[in-house]
Amino acid sequence: MERNPMRRQLAIMRQSLFDQGHVDEQFVQLEELQDDANPNFVEEVVTLYYRDSARIILNIEQALERKPFDFRKLDAYMHQFKGSSSSIGAKKVKAESTLFREYCKSGNGEGCMRSFQQLKKEYATLRKKLGAYFQLARQAGPVETASRPK
Amino acid sequence: MAHTLPSSDQSSDQDKWDSGGLECKGQLLIKIVMRNRLTALVVDGDTTCWVLEQELLHSYGVQTLGVDNSRDAVDLIASDAEFNLIIIEKILPVLNGLEVTRQICEIGVRCKMLEVTACSGESERQAFLAFGVDVFIEKPLDPEHLVPILRELDGQ
Repeated sequence: MERNPMRRQLAIMRQSLFDQGHVDEQFVQLEELQDDANPNFVEEVVTLYYRDSARIILNIEQALERKPFDFRKLDAYMHQFKGSSSSIGAKKVKAESTLFREYCKSGNGEGCMRSFQQLKKEYATLRKKLGAYFQLARQAGPVETASRPK
Repeated sequence: MAHTLPSSDQSSDQDKWDSGGLECKGQLLIKIVMRNRLTALVVDGDTTCWVLEQELLHSYGVQTLGVDNSRDAVDLIASDAEFNLIIIEKILPVLNGLEVTRQICEIGVRCKMLEVTACSGESERQAFLAFGVDVFIEKPLDPEHLVPILRELDGQ
């Protein structure tokens, strides 16, 4: 149990990311790759994800403005987006990506557009929640870890 | 464009090697002790993915190189660069992953090849396996799939 109130709040915030289904176990793997040599690894990777995926989102938006839809291209964009989303453990975003790809495969343009709108909502929500989480984590400071005996 | 290796604390890594093995930390990260220093090439056009894949490999003491397009990957292999493991994404700039796999196999490379990609259909999976990929893994690359492969490459 965290005695420090800020760390306690951080733990609650972290747990809610999982409980509300925003992130999955892959996020834990990111956390475990973070260490003294890479103390901000998780935040850096998430920042990288949002930076790079913005381009893919734009590509998809532009592709959805062109009729008829090029479902093969849309699927390829979403394939890449899904891959990077799953790599950071973005559970809801990944789920919407899967749905979008299913609509692409069945040639359902309306479904693609609906799914994409929902995906952007989940993407934005996750960004906001992770942003708040990392901000609090920075304020709370690093967790002291036991050093390995030599 | 070939990317440099992820930075590492070389002195602490050297201490770990001198003590007889490289142990991996964490609860999700399966702990193993590697006897040899393996090398890996990660080919993925998505920066987030190859950063993570390289970091995961690096956490197991694997020396990695990452490239973000198929042309650089093929050129690297053709220039006799050797790796124990090659990880390839399906959708890549220039050539797709399947074509890259085919070209790498044609060069005569004999190392473990992993296709790590967002979910694709069974037909695509079979196509990659037919072209010479050893294992087909759905993203994200995780220790559960990676560790047995590393153990095999390490001769354990």
